This record gives sequence, structure tokens and C-alpha cells, in this order.
Amino acid sequence: MPTATLSADGPAVTRSATAAAMTATLDSPAMTSDQTDAAKRDDFAEQAMQYADQLYGAAMRMTRNPADAADLVQDTLLKAYAAYGSFKQGTNLRAWLYRIQTNTYINTYRKQQRRPFEAPLDDLEDWQVGDAESFTATASRSAEAEAIHRMPSGIVKDALQQVPEDFRMAVYWVDVEGLSYAETAEVMESPVGTVMSRLHRGRKLLRGLLADYAREQGIAVQGTTEKEKKP
Amino acid sequence: MTETGSLAPEAKKDCTEARAALEEFLHNELCAEDAADVRAHLATCDECSAEHHVGEMLTAALQGACRDRAPEELRAKLLASLRQARDQHA
Repeated sequence: MPTATLSADGPAVTRSATAAAMTATLDSPAMTSDQTDAAKRDDFAEQAMQYADQLYGAAMRMTRNPADAADLVQDTLLKAYAAYGSFKQGTNLRAWLYRIQTNTYINTYRKQQRRPFEAPLDDLEDWQVGDAESFTATASRSAEAEAIHRMPSGIVKDALQQVPEDFRMAVYWVDVEGLSYAETAEVMESPVGTVMSRLHRGRKLLRGLLADYAREQGIAVQGTTEKEKKP
Repeated sequence: MTETGSLAPEAKKDCTEARAALEEFLHNELCAEDAADVRAHLATCDECSAEHHVGEMLTAALQGACRDRAPEELRAKLLASLRQARDQHA
């Protein structure tokens, strides 16, 4: 099987498709091979469709609106289908699909969205990111945990959408999708250290946002530490 | 290593180390040995244990909040376009 890397577009795609067709005619009777190729494609499509929900979830985090998310998933699946020959069976299909989706998003949707300004944030200093720990220093951590636990999911979702893109996606891949740091690094085409830093900052920002919300709601997560009530 | 429950400088150093590793611990990224060290520390330290619990709750909240499902309409569209791509190949 071709060992091309995960690029969604580029010449690797056509080359591997051609290669597949060629081996088909060379190795075995054409009919059988065609069927095999077709069966493989069907099989691949079926496997990929199993990730429709997850691809949609990731697309929602990226585009932040259902119409763009739907288009992005469609583009992703079609690209993956066309490039299926470059997918190595036995490796992580989900991560491979996410990487195609990430590239597709960056190359098309992000450009279209014309956001006024989204500076690369990896270089932000910690004081710019906000410090969740200063909050927890004065508040009881168990109250914070409890507040997060009871947070309406709409609020959590909104908070995540407010986090800058690279941080948001690192949190999404690791915490929601359960990808390892190494897999996330591959999906984001970034070093593991960068992923860890994005993840840390994203989580920290989220904690801050959720704490702000809890405070607005008057949930007791701030102020002097309250002694836990024993039953 | 973490036998003492006192406020010896040793315990403080354990806290710093545990805190630094907590996120990786939460995400199962530590090797077995390091994970065991963190686990042992958490068992003896309420503060770090509470901090870890906040982390767990955050992950759980995110997982609960992001359960999107592809709309049926989109599913049908995806199947149709995959079928079309297949026919073009055939």
C-alpha cells in the first residue's frame, strides 16, 4: 500500500489511485480486482460515515455555525474518499479524518470567514491569558468543581466557543475526543509541546470563563473559603 | 516517598511536582511510574486532590456539552455524495 502521508490534497492522491488501478490490472483478473477496489471504497465510505457525528462536532467547534459545519464535513468526507488509498489500514482513521478536516478548514473556511483579527496566540504571556489559579487561591476548589459540575451545558459550549481557535481545538481533541497528545499533534501539525501549551492555556481560559459565569449567577465559588458543610 | 503528612519542605516539593504533572496525569499521558507517583501524592494531599477533581469536572463538563450529532439531513447528503463519488469512479 502507498505510504503517502496524510495530505488531503496534492499529487499523492491521484498517484495512489492510479497505483491501485495499475496493481489491479497487473496482479489479478481485472474483474475481481475492480470488485475488490469497489468493495474497498465502499468499506472505507462505511467506516468514515461512522465518524459523521464526531466530524460534525469538530466542525461545529471550528466554524461555530451549523451551515458551515455541514459543508465542512461534506468536503472532508469527499476528500477522504478520494484520498482513501493514502490511508494506511490499521492506523487511526479518526485522526486521519480530523487532519483532513483541519486542513480543509484552514485552507477554505477560515479564509472565507474573514475574521477581523486573530493573531497567533502561542506566544501570549500567561498574564495575558488570565490566571485561573489566582481565582482558586481564594476560592475553595471543591466549590469550583461543584460549580463546573452543575454548569448548564449550553454555558460550557459557549465558553469553549469563546476560547481562541488553536486553544479551543486542542481542548476539543484531547478532552472531548480523547485523542492522545501525539495524535493531536498530528492533527494540528504541531509539536507535542505546542499542543500541551495550547491545551493548558485553553483549559485555564475555560476555567476562568466558567468561574466568571458562576460568579455572575451568585454561585458561591469566590470570596473567603467556606468551610464545607458536613451532613 | 510521600509517607509524611506533615508540612515538611519535602511535601511542598511533592505538591509542585504533582501540580506540574496533573494535566498529563488527567489525560493518561504519564508513564506508569510517574502516574503512580502522582496517584500516591493525591492520596495524601487534599489540596492537590481537589485541584485534580476540578480538572476532572472540567473534562466531564466539556464531554457533556459537546455531544453534537450530525443532523439527519446532513447524513443523507453525505451518503448521497459518497455514492455519487463512487459512481464517478466506477
